[in-house]
Amino acid sequence: MLNRHKISLFILGSGIITLAIAFSFALAWLSPGASAAALAQSTPPTPTPQAGSATDTSTGLLSIDDQVCLDCHGTPGLTMTLENGEVLDLTVSAEEHRVSVHGQMGYACVQCHTTVGNYPHPPFQAASLRDASLQLYPACQRCHASQYELASDSVHATALENGNLQAAICTDCHTAHQVRRLNDPETGELTQEARLAIPETCAKCHSAIYEKYLTSVHGSALSEGNADVPTCIDCHGVHNIEDPTTASFRLNSPTMCSKCHTDSELMAKYGLSTNVLSTYVADFHGTTVALFEKQSPDAETNKPVCYDCHGIHDIMRVDDPDHGLQASENLLVRCQRCHPDATANFPTAWLSHYIPDREKYPLVYYVNLFYKILIPALLGGMAVLVALDFSAKVRSRRRKPEVTESDAEVSHD
Amino acid sequence: MTDPTSDPRLTPDSSSDTPPAPEPTPAIPIMTEPTSDAPIMAEPTLDVPVPAEPAHPAQTFIRFDRVQRISHLVLLISFTVLAITGLPQKFALSPLSQGMINLMGGIEFTRQIHHISAVILLIASIVHIIDLGYRVFVLRYQLSMLPVVEDFKHLFDDLSYYFGRRKRKAFYGRYSYAEKVEYLAVVWGTVIMAITGFIMWNPIFTTRSLPGSIIPASKAAHGWEAVLAVLAIIIWHFYHVHLRHFNKSIFNGQLSREEMEHEHPAELAQIEAGETSKPVSPDVLRRRQRYYFPIAGVLTVILGVSLFRFVTYEDTALSYVPPAETVAVFVPITPTPRPTSTITPTFDPAAEVGADTWAGTYEALFRNRCSSCHGVTAVGGLSLATYEDALKGGNSGPGIIPGDAEASWIVKIQSAGGHPGQLTSDELSQVIEWINNGAPEQ
Repeated sequence: MLNRHKISLFILGSGIITLAIAFSFALAWLSPGASAAALAQSTPPTPTPQAGSATDTSTGLLSIDDQVCLDCHGTPGLTMTLENGEVLDLTVSAEEHRVSVHGQMGYACVQCHTTVGNYPHPPFQAASLRDASLQLYPACQRCHASQYELASDSVHATALENGNLQAAICTDCHTAHQVRRLNDPETGELTQEARLAIPETCAKCHSAIYEKYLTSVHGSALSEGNADVPTCIDCHGVHNIEDPTTASFRLNSPTMCSKCHTDSELMAKYGLSTNVLSTYVADFHGTTVALFEKQSPDAETNKPVCYDCHGIHDIMRVDDPDHGLQASENLLVRCQRCHPDATANFPTAWLSHYIPDREKYPLVYYVNLFYKILIPALLGGMAVLVALDFSAKVRSRRRKPEVTESDAEVSHD
Repeated sequence: MTDPTSDPRLTPDSSSDTPPAPEPTPAIPIMTEPTSDAPIMAEPTLDVPVPAEPAHPAQTFIRFDRVQRISHLVLLISFTVLAITGLPQKFALSPLSQGMINLMGGIEFTRQIHHISAVILLIASIVHIIDLGYRVFVLRYQLSMLPVVEDFKHLFDDLSYYFGRRKRKAFYGRYSYAEKVEYLAVVWGTVIMAITGFIMWNPIFTTRSLPGSIIPASKAAHGWEAVLAVLAIIIWHFYHVHLRHFNKSIFNGQLSREEMEHEHPAELAQIEAGETSKPVSPDVLRRRQRYYFPIAGVLTVILGVSLFRFVTYEDTALSYVPPAETVAVFVPITPTPRPTSTITPTFDPAAEVGADTWAGTYEALFRNRCSSCHGVTAVGGLSLATYEDALKGGNSGPGIIPGDAEASWIVKIQSAGGHPGQLTSDELSQVIEWINNGAPEQ
């Protein structure tokens, strides 16, 4: 009976000790920088536009020179009336094609228009101009299969599948005959010129968002020719543009913002802190979001991410006189979106990405300092006493192995 | 949560190296035959007289009563759960913490377990306060958990012993300084955790009157206090009651005589010297209870309501984040129509549309059927854009020879068939007839 108790107590005790030791190991992991980096690594990088992998498979039709097509299609006024009465312009500007990336590289009309190599052309029927584009754009897939595949995972492709014929297809962004070179053929990187033109491309359909973007700290810099700032694709991706209203997009967004905002070289140019991610993740909101992102990336959380406070397309400078979050009353408005009862003191409950020190958040700094002194002092004292007691106990046992412990301690000699 | 009170006893002088009471027969043996955990006594009644019999090693002493033991058990469980659910939140970025949080069903569920355990611990704290009041004001026990000068002497004695200046450790009374440190640490820790916990649980209420930075400061204090408490339990508590000597008295309520000699020699001596308090007479007890119970009742209600308010004071946040942007997504810019320089045929206002003339019929027919090649581009030198062009013809010869359809190249080519812009046979017959009629322009 007694033994059983002893054993179960021992098991309980050692279980707790094990847990406790595990916790103390956890202490060792406490390194904000490393942790933030871990968060950043955990998400797949947004695909950067790749060099067009032009794989030509239409050599059989190369014999038909563009001039053959242009003999007819170079003529202005060549049109076709579609079923809904819209008029499809069949004229192709030879000059436009010549200066396009395809023209420069010497691609022939029939490499895209593979079915019209002979005359008379096979019958072509389209319900509308949009229908005509939808019938023709799969031609891009023949050479640009990987981009085409990415795009078929996009929010645009989903909308199209769901019957929204206005959803963007290749030619809506790239055009059909005026396709421009977007990346540097040597580095594969987007050219500065192409980056600067991205928002205008998206604005063809998303003009209201574009107007907002132009007012933001990023958009206004871009319109002044600064290509450092994010354009649409830096957050939304290029071909596989994700639905930005999902839980997973939200949870991943701090990583997205931190791609630039933890880049010390880039941030140094503008005098911005790179601690924004680590300080966010150290806070209640950020901790929750980071854990959600890792453990249940599709679950909704009511904790804010970067853009819930800073805005989405209308991100302002924090020192903006009207909307900047540096002004407590502006921040309070943001707090109140989720904390409707919050009052004037509430915003300073958030450390505003600062690491507490004597000037910024001294109360927090001194609480930390207090425990940094108290914990080692108290536990050190305890440990010394425990060690002394333990060694005395071991010594007394060794000295009198035959005498029981209590006898040893009460003996008076 | 060992109790701070005990029967009032004299504190024996333990400054000498001699144990205060000499060995054998206790004046009032408390209980004999430790038939395991059978008889549980409601009060730490060291004063229940049992027929005296010679002391032997199996003799046991009641150390903790049922309330104390249950309180400890509740504290043990809630503290452990709080630590297991709390520390991973403090060190949320370490893989170990994340694994634990995952095992516990995610961060939100972990927080709920943490909150429930906190409420249980606070209920245990309220019970402790009420129970403590009973012991102090009704039973009139001494506050034997409070530190006294004696404790510093004991510490000095122990240090002397450790460094070989003394033959044995200090003679502890009912509670040694180690136990007092631990009890007071639990009280301090619980108060700190409750206050900072309340602040974090109710940040909107707090910041109505206090600066906002009290919230992160509370978070810092709550986390570090937790680290301190858990490490103190590991270093101090585990050593003293698990490692140094496995002390089970908080579970079975008893200490053996050997354990008493070993750990509480001064208390043992007092007991054996009969220096324990006289039991309170039933009349006095009843009178005191009559005062205490209503007060305790009111206090319980106040503390209970406070606890309820603690938990339910405010709805801190909405359960969802309102959409950050309400701008319309699809707002297409009206596309500028592509500039198409369509050839505008110059109609003769006098011409009758549909008349069997160039202007009335054949100009439109040739434009629609032939102009792709024989318009501006004039494939083969032939353009059919104007009447004159048609007459002139292309490289082969004149397109139209008025009055002589067979010699006109348009008819020659079309009659052969298979031309890209092939006219139907009706159209061709019509053209032939028109040419043979002199191919009138107007």
